[in-house]
Amino acid sequence: MRKENNLSHLISHISNLVKMARKLLLEHINVPGINTLDVYRQHGGYRSVEKALKTMSPDAIVEEVKTSGLRGRGGAGFPTGMKWSFLAKPEGKERYLVCNADESEPGTFKDRYLMTYIPHALIEGMIVSSFALGARTSYIYVRGEMMPQIRILEKAIAEAKNAGFLGKNILGTGYDLELYVQPGGGAYICGEETALIESLEGKRGNPRIKPPFPAISGVWACPTVVNNVETIAAVVPIINDGGEEYAKIGIGRSTGTKLISASGNLNKPGVYEIDLGVPVEEFIYSDEYCGGIANGKRLKAVVAGGSSVPILPANLSLKTVNGESRLMSYESLSDGGFQSGSMLGSGGFIAFDEDQCIVRNTWNFARFYHHESCGQCSPCREGTGWMEKVLHRLEYGHGKMSDIDLLVDVARKIEGNTICPLGDAAAWPVASAIRHFRDEFEWHVTNPKEAMDRNYGLAKYADPLPKLEEVSQ
Amino acid sequence: MLSVTEQKDIEFSSSLISQFDEIVTRYPAGKQKAGLLPILHLVQAEYGWVSPEAMDKVAAYLEIKPIEVYEVATFYTMFFLRPQGKFVLEVCRTGPCCLVGAEKIMDHIEKTLGVKEGEVTADGKFSWRGVECLAACGMAPVLQIGPEYTFYENLTEQSVDQLINDLKNKI
Repeated sequence: MRKENNLSHLISHISNLVKMARKLLLEHINVPGINTLDVYRQHGGYRSVEKALKTMSPDAIVEEVKTSGLRGRGGAGFPTGMKWSFLAKPEGKERYLVCNADESEPGTFKDRYLMTYIPHALIEGMIVSSFALGARTSYIYVRGEMMPQIRILEKAIAEAKNAGFLGKNILGTGYDLELYVQPGGGAYICGEETALIESLEGKRGNPRIKPPFPAISGVWACPTVVNNVETIAAVVPIINDGGEEYAKIGIGRSTGTKLISASGNLNKPGVYEIDLGVPVEEFIYSDEYCGGIANGKRLKAVVAGGSSVPILPANLSLKTVNGESRLMSYESLSDGGFQSGSMLGSGGFIAFDEDQCIVRNTWNFARFYHHESCGQCSPCREGTGWMEKVLHRLEYGHGKMSDIDLLVDVARKIEGNTICPLGDAAAWPVASAIRHFRDEFEWHVTNPKEAMDRNYGLAKYADPLPKLEEVSQ
Repeated sequence: MLSVTEQKDIEFSSSLISQFDEIVTRYPAGKQKAGLLPILHLVQAEYGWVSPEAMDKVAAYLEIKPIEVYEVATFYTMFFLRPQGKFVLEVCRTGPCCLVGAEKIMDHIEKTLGVKEGEVTADGKFSWRGVECLAACGMAPVLQIGPEYTFYENLTEQSVDQLINDLKNKI
C-alpha cells in the first residue's frame, strides 16, 4: 500500500513537470474570441467531429471512451464508457443524449466557466457523443439561472449549424442531429438524472424510482444517457488523441484531467484543470493553483467535492490517516472511508480558514438541503427540516447536549432510505461535521453566549494527525 | 397565508406566441408539454411574474390541464407567483458565499433598500431575496438580476451601492 503510494507520489511529481502541456479542456481558454466558431476551429476545434463521423463507427467511439477510463464528472464518478454501453437500442425507438448542465452543487462552478468561455467544447462533445449513442435529437439542460450561458450556447449552436456540424447530413456523412438548449427552473434536485428527465418533460423535478434506469427508459420512456458538461467535453480530447493517451494522464483508476472549482478562504479561488493525482497540499498552497489560505490564516477544514461530501479537518485533508499524502483523485480522497476520508465528487473544493464556524456552516448546508428536498420521500422531506431546526438552535445558543446525537440519529435514518441520493447528500455533511468537530458542537452548547460572539477556532484535530483508533471511534 | 393576485384581461402578444411556437418544435409531436419551463420563463420576462391567469393561458396553449402548470410553477424557485419589484436582487446565501461575507451583503441590501426579504420598495422598483447556490462560488459573494439574470460578482458594500444607484438611474 505504502509502496504504491510512494510510486504514485513520484508519478504525480513527474506529471507536474509536464503539466502545462496537459491542459485538455482549458488549453485555449485565454485565447481572445475562443467562444466563436472560427477561432475555436483555428485552435483545432471540431477535429473530433470529422474524425468520429468520417472514420469511426459508433461502437468504436464507445470503446475508445471505455479505454480512456473517463469517469462521470458530475459527482458520482461512474465510468462513462460503461454507462454508454448500457444504452438499450430497441428498433423503432428514438434514443436521447441529455447533457446535465444543471450545475447546482454548492462549491461547484466549473461547468458555468466552461460554457461561458469555451462553449464549442461542449457542442463538439455533444455531436461526437450523440453520434456514438445513435441520438438524432439531443438536449443540453442548463439551470435556468444561467440565462447568459443559455444565450451563449444557443449562439454557438447556431454557428455550428451554419458550418454544417449540426442539422441534416452532417459533413456529408448522412448523420442528422438537432441540438437544443433547455432551461431549468431553479431546483438543485434536477441535477439528479431522473429528476432532470422529469423536468425536461415539463414536470416537477421528482426523481424516479430506479429501475428502470434511463438507459432503458428515460426521456419520454426512450433510452437516454445523461452526462455532465465536463464529461461530454472530455470526449473531445479522447477522440482526438485516443483513449489510451487519455488514460496515461492521472493516477490509477482516476484517469485524465479534472476541473476543480476552488472556493472559500483561498488566495486564488477559481477553476483549475488538474491532472488527477495532484496532492491536496500542493493544490491549496502552490502558486500554480490556489496560492494558500487568504489573509495569512491557517486552514481549518476542507470540503473536497461539493457540499454533499464529508467535511474533513485540515490534517485529514492533507494526509490520510496512515500518514500518506492525500491526492486529488477518486481513490485517495475516499481513502479511509467516511471515518477519515471523503470523496472527489464534482470537484467543488471549499476551503475553510481558522475563523469559520463549523456549526454555522453545517446549519447553512442543512438549510440548503431542506430547501431543495423535492418532498417525495418522508425521511428526506422531514429529516432535512429537523436537521435544519436542530442545527439552528445549536448555532443560536439554544442547543442541548442531546441534540448532537439526535442529529447523528436523524442523519443515519435519512441515509439510504430515499429514492434519490439527495437524502445521503443531506446526511453526510451533518454526520461528518459531528464526527470530526464534535468538540465545537459541544462548545456551542456549553458556551452559548460566547458562541454567538466569537468563533471556536481550530478544532482539536487540526494538528497533528489523529491516531487510527481516535478516528474509527 | 396565500393571497392570490389577479392579472385581469391578460392577452399574450403575437411575438410572445411566435416564440412559444418555436419552442414546441424542439420536442417530438405530442410532447409539447416539455416546453412548459421555457415558456414560463418567457411569460415571467414579459410580465415580471407568473399570474394564475397567465398560467391558465399557458395551459390552454400547451393543451394541458391548468394544474399541470400550477404544480410546476410552484415547484421551481425561479418563478414569482406574485408581483415583484422591477429589479429583483437575488443574493446567493449558501455556504461558500457565506464564507466570504454574503450575509453581510444581504444585511446591507436590506438596510439600503429599506425593505425586508421578499418585500417590494414603495416606488415599486426593487425587491430582494436570498437564493440557494448560484454555482459561482469562486467569485463569491454574488447576486443576479432577472430577467436576463445578469451576474454581479465579488460583491462589496460599495459595489452594491454602486449597482443600486445605477439601477435607480436606469429607470
